[in-house]
Amino acid sequence: MNISKNWLDAYINLDGLSSQEMADMLTFAGIEVEGMQERGVHTDLVVVAQVVEKTPVEGSDHLNVCMVDAGEGKLRQIVCGASNYKVGDKVPCALPGAILPGGWEIKEGKMMGHASCGMLCSASELGMPDKEHGLWILPQEYEIGTPVRRFVQTDTLFELEITPNRPDLLSHWGMARELAGITGRTLKSDPAPEDIDTAPAGEDVHLSAPEICPLYTVTRIRGVKIAPSPDWLAQRLIAIGLRPINNVVDITNYCLFELGHPLHAFDAAKVQGALDIRHAEDGEQFLSLMDESYTLRSDDLVISDSSGRVLALGGVMGGKNSGVSEDTTDLILESAWFLPSAVRHTSRRLGLGSDSSYRFERGTSPWNVLRAAARAVQLILECAEGEAEPIGVAGEAPCLVPEKEAPRATVLQQGTRAKVYCALQHVALDWKELDVMTDGTTPHMEAARILKNLGLRETAAGEWDCPPWRLDLKRSCDLLEEVVRVYGIANIPATRTTIYVPESRQDRAHDFRCELSRRLAGAGLCEVQTLKLIAEQSSDPTIAALPYALPIKPLMEGDVIRVALPLSEDHAVLRPSLSPGLLAVAARNLNHGADVLRFFECGRVFRNTGGGKGKDIESESLGILIAGKLAPTSWSQLKQPNAAPQHLRALLELTAPQAVISLVPSRTKREAAALSADVQINGQTCGYFARVAATACRALGLPEDCYYAELDLRKLQQIATAPFKVRELPQFPGSGRDATIVVPQTTKNADVLKVIESAKQKLLVSCNLKEIFSDPTGQKLPADHKALTYSFLYRDATKTLTAADVDAAHAAVLQVITGKLNGASLR
Amino acid sequence: MDVIYLTKSGVWYSFSAMMKEEIAKAKAEALAKIAEADSVKKLEEARVAILGKKGAFTKVQQGMRDVPPAEKPTVGALLHEARGAVDAALEARLLQLQVMEDEKRVAGIDLTLPAATLPMGGLHPISLVREEAVRILRRMGFSLADGPEIEDEWHCFDALNTPEDHPARNEKDTFYFDSGKLLRTQTSTVQARVMESQAPPVRIICPGSAFRRDAIDATHLSAFNQIEGLYVDREVSVGDLKGTLEYFLKALFGDETAVRFRPHFFPFTEPSFEIDVQLRAAGQAPRWIEIAGCGMVNPAVFENIDSKTGKNLYSGCTGFAFGIGLERLAMIRWGIRDIRLLIENDVRFLAQFH
Repeated sequence: MNISKNWLDAYINLDGLSSQEMADMLTFAGIEVEGMQERGVHTDLVVVAQVVEKTPVEGSDHLNVCMVDAGEGKLRQIVCGASNYKVGDKVPCALPGAILPGGWEIKEGKMMGHASCGMLCSASELGMPDKEHGLWILPQEYEIGTPVRRFVQTDTLFELEITPNRPDLLSHWGMARELAGITGRTLKSDPAPEDIDTAPAGEDVHLSAPEICPLYTVTRIRGVKIAPSPDWLAQRLIAIGLRPINNVVDITNYCLFELGHPLHAFDAAKVQGALDIRHAEDGEQFLSLMDESYTLRSDDLVISDSSGRVLALGGVMGGKNSGVSEDTTDLILESAWFLPSAVRHTSRRLGLGSDSSYRFERGTSPWNVLRAAARAVQLILECAEGEAEPIGVAGEAPCLVPEKEAPRATVLQQGTRAKVYCALQHVALDWKELDVMTDGTTPHMEAARILKNLGLRETAAGEWDCPPWRLDLKRSCDLLEEVVRVYGIANIPATRTTIYVPESRQDRAHDFRCELSRRLAGAGLCEVQTLKLIAEQSSDPTIAALPYALPIKPLMEGDVIRVALPLSEDHAVLRPSLSPGLLAVAARNLNHGADVLRFFECGRVFRNTGGGKGKDIESESLGILIAGKLAPTSWSQLKQPNAAPQHLRALLELTAPQAVISLVPSRTKREAAALSADVQINGQTCGYFARVAATACRALGLPEDCYYAELDLRKLQQIATAPFKVRELPQFPGSGRDATIVVPQTTKNADVLKVIESAKQKLLVSCNLKEIFSDPTGQKLPADHKALTYSFLYRDATKTLTAADVDAAHAAVLQVITGKLNGASLR
Repeated sequence: MDVIYLTKSGVWYSFSAMMKEEIAKAKAEALAKIAEADSVKKLEEARVAILGKKGAFTKVQQGMRDVPPAEKPTVGALLHEARGAVDAALEARLLQLQVMEDEKRVAGIDLTLPAATLPMGGLHPISLVREEAVRILRRMGFSLADGPEIEDEWHCFDALNTPEDHPARNEKDTFYFDSGKLLRTQTSTVQARVMESQAPPVRIICPGSAFRRDAIDATHLSAFNQIEGLYVDREVSVGDLKGTLEYFLKALFGDETAVRFRPHFFPFTEPSFEIDVQLRAAGQAPRWIEIAGCGMVNPAVFENIDSKTGKNLYSGCTGFAFGIGLERLAMIRWGIRDIRLLIENDVRFLAQFH
């Protein structure tokens, strides 16, 4: 909200307080100062000057060389680009050295070859609202050479962010009251009249929706003269960025920004009969004064008349058909209280907000209803003449105090013939609570003084009445907040306490994840973090999309969780796997010329367990993607191998080096995979391994050697961090033998190992594949066969083996291989 | 005095004299051969020719067999001295040749050539700041906690004193699901999750994601990372909140960093504060940068938890909570101007953190 310092000055004496000091004070009272604009000029170097000569600059369509008299005894040459002035006009002239708002310093210079010794100014260049386009033409009676600041009132505009709990600060009077409370300075007189003449509204108003609008007042004013607002009023509105319209409309706006309570003026000639404050009918149309049409629902509140037309949307905006115009003579002025949630609901649903709805939805004080009405009536009579009836009151102020406390509450009373009662919130505060909160460092006397300055009244020891404008004060903690806020947290000493806490499951998961990530990073993988909301479909390869999901468990219909109202279709469903994100990252980087694509991500994946009807499950996954070259090429490594399954497998083994990892062909295939395997770690299925299908690679523009694996982090952690004991180191040397076994191409490494294992040779310690040879030409080996060379290691734990022992054991193993393995022969 | 023997051929022969001669000759030849060797390989050949099984010097050594016992000490001493000289020469020449060969080898090395390449990896900047913040907070006695990202309204709003008609609760700013659940808008949901599952004291942090229905631009993401903290016990004060967060932020931004607390408003804390740290960049005036939100837990939150669990565990407790955005932390630390860099995962960006 914009607050003008000059306007504020009408309610509180701010002498001796610089704008910066005031900004700091507001900041530390919890009111964020988002901006501060100095209006007008403080320097003597901007003076009244008269244009004496004006010569167009050759070659320019808008520049003129002007000779101006700035009261210096000789003329000054200034090049000027404006066009709205003539010789003889008086305009502000900034002399060299002047600093204009925004810190802009005026210097002598040259423009298109002509010396320019200063600048003729527009109003906006002097931080003033611009009335006309171009130079600021000053009245002829201003004396040449006089500093302009003598005629122009300077001001400071504060742009403040008011937190939602403090609607009472959304006005100049409210802000003045707050400053008085914080500083202890006294307020000048309340702008709202003290005596308010009221009468029952009777048949003029029907409250058909009292749960939303329990209090509605109307004031009839006859014979007003619609005219421009007086200067002082227009200036204040302009200062906070509003455009003056006419006296009546301006006064309703003015009262809103003065007292914080929204008002609305109807043209009485356009209202038929009584006002009906009712629910809208489903489908009813409303044409706003901004000329926009809205379809209403029964939970919207409208102001209507006996014709049934909608005159206004309660608390939100007036209608096109009932507003004040140039021809208006009789007014009906509305001041009412609307239920915040109802106004918010309507305003949000229709996307229709106003200064009025902004205040109603945050909460207005019922106590302000009559005050604002009376103030507006006073100003209208003052500025637009006319005759006012007493304020007609319908209904009663809502009781914002809890029901059980209401009978004991202090009650304020307003009005004459129709009274409005306003119960004050009562709060009990034990200073012990303050002592706990601030470690006993805040003196109770000081705390009490702070509360009193803010308008609270101590009715008995520890018993406080809250002022009617402070709807946020309800409990003792609300009062403590006020004390701490005003006393200043800077005055509360910092303490350091800690307790011993047990390590949690999440602590261990975090440690595991950090260590794992660093290990993968060390192996040359780049960690990425991708968005959890992905597209259901996308033709842009750099947008993660569902068809590329390679989840640990295949997806069933309804497993994917979709948000109800996505911001865009690119981010519409929760990722069931990390692969769409990783593939999109690969595609994006490929576009930038990367040829080594090695990425991993640790993060949450989501799915519904029962086709959309079951529980939503969140689990932590690790996804690894390798594609393209294994490492960058360089002058010393002209060729690098392409990614292959064994490379991804090596990375998987890195995640649990002590465990036995096996890839078991998966029974269910995923759309985007050419090869699917379950990753089993120590026999437990922990993940999924895939070669990405060529169709997917082509759609994404990725190289075809593209491998992806996803592991369940929780299972992986269980296995990788299981406790273990070290093995004894062997006491005796082992002895190695190699053997080359020729088998059909279809024979798998695991088939060979299984047969070797079945030999149950006690001396055999290990058996590792050393080389694979095949010859597609069939010259050295039948083309449908391959030669597998294994290294066998034999050892006896109790003695050094003789060559004969080893040979015997090796021969026994080889015999089993040739005997049991289909089509195997030794070479 | 030499002893002279008669050989089988009838020639009187002095063993001593003969051996002396042979030893001297073999030594001289060996040394010459060693000196001649101009590479480590040739030196090794020379060594074999001199000291190998059939080496020249080895043969002379074998002559010791025939030396009469009386003369063995004299001849033996001579032989020992000669062998010592040959070994020393071999070693000295080897050193010389290795130095020469090293010189030859390194002469061709161009140290200005670029490196061979390894696949480079590293962590994402958000992981780096998260790890660091978690490390500091755990040192301060906080343990980690966690909660679901698909939350219900109760944990996200009601428990945290944000009733249905509260301005902060707006379906247009929140991702809802048809089930009525939502993507948590803040990690503060974990406060409610932890308190309903354990008795005080509670001292936890939760690094995690939160979601808002904001369009993505240079300063906004629809999903972001936070660290939430909560300490609840008997008589926890504003002073504790201040001490804890000052220590944490100084550990994060440096000991000299000034920290200030500005009163603010959050529904689930009262009083509430925003925290600024003062950053100094060379050639610029120090700036206050908003970095975190915090406050004393609103008693209404404790009441909501207690009435949900039916256990009166939190009445009479006080506590503080805080939240800090990790994207903002990363942006400030590394001068990242566009928040989208943190989700685009462009290797040219990420590699700067490797």
